Amino acid sequence: MWAMVQKEFRQLRRDRRTVAMMIVLPVLLLVVFGYAASFDVTEIKTVVVGPGAQAAADRLREPFVVDRVEPGETRDDAVATLRDGRAQVAVVTGAGQPQALVDGADLFAARAAVTAMRQAAAQPGQVAPEPEVLFNPGLETSVIMVPALIGVILVFVGVVATSLGVVRERQAGTLEQLAVMPFRPSDVFVGKILPYFVVAAVDLTVITVVGITLFDVPFRGSALTLALGATLFLFVTLGLGVLISTVSQNQGQAIQLAFMTVLPQILLSGMIFPLASMAAGVRWIGYVLPLTYFIQISRGVMVRGTPIEALVLPLSMLAVLGVAVFGLSVVRFRRDLAPAGTARAADAGERRKITAAAR
Amino acid sequence: MTLVEIRGARKRFGEVVAVDGVDLEVAPGEVVGLLGANGAGKTTLIRLILGLLRPTAGTVRLFGSPPSRHTRARLGYVPQALGLYEDLTVAENLAFSAGAFGAAPGRLDGALEAARGELVAELPLGLRRRVAFAAALAHRPDLLVLDEPTSGVDPLGRARLWETIWEAAAGGAGVLVSTHFMSEAEQCDRLVVMAAGRVVAAGGAAEIVGDASTVEVRAERWEAAFTALDRAGLPAALVGRRLRVPDADPRQVGAALDAAGVQAAVRAVPATLEETFVVLSGDGGDPGAAAPDRAGVA
Amino acid sequence: MSGYGVSDLRVRYGGQLAVDGVSFTVQRGTVTALVGGDGAGKTSVLRALAGAVRPAGGGVRRPDAHRIGYMAAGEAVYRDLTVDENLAFSASAYGVRGAEAARRAAELLRRTGLQDAGGRLGGQLSGGMRHKLALAMALLHEPELLVLDEPTTGVDPVSRAELWRLIAAAAAAGAAVVLATCYVDEAERAASVVVLSEGRPLLEGSPEEVVARMPGVVVDSAVRLDPVTSWRRGARWRTWSADGTVPAGAARAEPDLEDAVIVAELARPRRAGEVAA
Repeated sequence: MWAMVQKEFRQLRRDRRTVAMMIVLPVLLLVVFGYAASFDVTEIKTVVVGPGAQAAADRLREPFVVDRVEPGETRDDAVATLRDGRAQVAVVTGAGQPQALVDGADLFAARAAVTAMRQAAAQPGQVAPEPEVLFNPGLETSVIMVPALIGVILVFVGVVATSLGVVRERQAGTLEQLAVMPFRPSDVFVGKILPYFVVAAVDLTVITVVGITLFDVPFRGSALTLALGATLFLFVTLGLGVLISTVSQNQGQAIQLAFMTVLPQILLSGMIFPLASMAAGVRWIGYVLPLTYFIQISRGVMVRGTPIEALVLPLSMLAVLGVAVFGLSVVRFRRDLAPAGTARAADAGERRKITAAAR
Repeated sequence: MTLVEIRGARKRFGEVVAVDGVDLEVAPGEVVGLLGANGAGKTTLIRLILGLLRPTAGTVRLFGSPPSRHTRARLGYVPQALGLYEDLTVAENLAFSAGAFGAAPGRLDGALEAARGELVAELPLGLRRRVAFAAALAHRPDLLVLDEPTSGVDPLGRARLWETIWEAAAGGAGVLVSTHFMSEAEQCDRLVVMAAGRVVAAGGAAEIVGDASTVEVRAERWEAAFTALDRAGLPAALVGRRLRVPDADPRQVGAALDAAGVQAAVRAVPATLEETFVVLSGDGGDPGAAAPDRAGVA
Repeated sequence: MSGYGVSDLRVRYGGQLAVDGVSFTVQRGTVTALVGGDGAGKTSVLRALAGAVRPAGGGVRRPDAHRIGYMAAGEAVYRDLTVDENLAFSASAYGVRGAEAARRAAELLRRTGLQDAGGRLGGQLSGGMRHKLALAMALLHEPELLVLDEPTTGVDPVSRAELWRLIAAAAAAGAAVVLATCYVDEAERAASVVVLSEGRPLLEGSPEEVVARMPGVVVDSAVRLDPVTSWRRGARWRTWSADGTVPAGAARAEPDLEDAVIVAELARPRRAGEVAA
């Protein structure tokens, strides 16, 4: 039995990916739960409009942080600000009681705002506005979760399925056959990922429809904007999937790498824990993850009805990431498949054999 | 004492009879070759000997008793896939198998010693096969079972591997070699040919061939002769620039060529072991069928 | 020079030179065999010839991709597609359409004995059947140049005979066939042989020429005469005598291609630090 134990330890030591997973994973979880996992929102971006704006702004205490004071704007402007995601709370002053509008799509900020306002109202002598929650009046979790879930599905299909699909070719030994057939590398590449694109599109539609019909998730914005965001996002995830396949020799390795790229996205993209609650030192990770931007788009379009002009930033980020990742994956894929200038071995094992025989 | 004694062994998987009444013996010091097409039952028979399967009928005795965990210590087995761990070095692989059998890892010779710290994945096939042999021989087994031991190896490497096999036999071990390679089969003391689960021929290579004959065709343009014979339903094999039609009647061959207007010299020559084997397999079984062919079953 | 082939081919993987100066020509209607052990460079030469890899030096003469048929080492068929689907993919990739594709596929299935296995998944076939399917896929579009990497390694003799019939039929129909093999008896069937070792050519020519050019003599004896230059042949030993002298207790033997190949490997100049085989 000892022989078995010794052998397993030796093999494990050499299996860098598994070891990385066993070390990287605990560290990641530690970081997440140490610094990132928090539902407490300590700063709520507030904009104050209307004639009495300045006076009202001066009276606001934490957690509200006044971002802009616009005496010239009206309630409609305030609604638009919230809809575009530029603030989380808007205080509208005018004749009579000031109104507080709360962005219900930013769930935890909204809850914090409502709680703060009710506490303030409970204090004797205080006059506080009654909060009006827009977009998600019931402050329901499902309303903001379903749009995020769409992103997660796209990540799965994009990264996991694609990496397996291409690695399968390498494992079966048919990659070489493809290199000899009268295909252009682009034929092979596009041909390989197109089915996954279609599957992802179907998934996206199904989840959206189910969300709307079964969970009463609204769809206030433009379907085209969502489609654009989804397409750009898919470029990133499909590209990532192909990239993983070019560095994996078999499906087991591909799954490991895929897992290690999917898990951080689920935990740190703002899907579960709001980005604003994360410690700044960790929050930057969220801003590098594509899922973060897609969730901004999907929540914006579906729950708030954000117009495309206000989503230019996340759309652009996805476009940039898409070009980078997709481009890199195409380059690596070509090298694996097509006759390369430096005749790179399509299979690392082949290269080792040559090295060994030359000994 | 006979190392392996099989009498009337049958093995059935559901409706499929993979081994259908086989007798086989292996004595110390002899090298027995086991030949058979895919689906002939070779692999199943080997698994019966190794104790991985129990016979449906008949007896299988290894060192005098049915195969068990205890007989394994006296057995050395090299599967076709070598059974080596690619992510361990040569020395680590040998240490593992020695430890498993409770033996000390043996001394390594020349090339293997030089490669002891290399990962198996980095070794060329010939060296890998030698490592697999060393792993199977370290505990000085009384019986060696080898499945396609030299597949894919160059001629010199193959000769070196056979030196190891013969050394083991000279040391008193019995060796059972399963092979597809005829010139390798000719090196064995005796052969057992299987088809469709049965033994269809046994004995030395010359005995098995007997006086079987092949028709040799020499033509100015072999392509024309080949096409003519093909159309006549006579399967011809190309050897260099000549054609050979096993188990055929020279007159029939000549007639087919004449009918196509092809000029050729036709004569009967002795058959090779390979040709005899193909003919035996064709009569005895249906190599195209796949019922027992599925991976892991045959 | 007519025919297809390579001239002074060099193929590099990373920093290593896998093929170093190999040249040969394959005439249409003939079979050329590349012989050599694992790592000798056979696969690299075939890949360069078929166009799967760009050479680091030298020249390659081949027809365009539509007229090349390639069979990679290890049965490269799609295990999760059926036999029919595999053939359909090949047909579609090479531009063989409709009725023509169906006709060719049916004929190849018949000739490989796979006609009843059309609906079977690639993964459910035996090794020999997978090789036959891979060959059928390479033949479907009636290529002018057929490049086969170890088409019969590990295949049972019955399937091997059938594979060779197909290969011969392709050559008879005018294709130039190049194949890599580790079996010397297969090399003997070819019209022309190229023996490789460590990426370099050792021997070249027809089997008869190669044997005739073998340096020294080969002797047969009952016991081993030398640790390096002796090798087993069945129950007896063969020894290579470079200078032609016949040692006591041995008799001169008529060499065959296997002897010539082994002698070429023994005669190869060794690199510094290389351990003798």
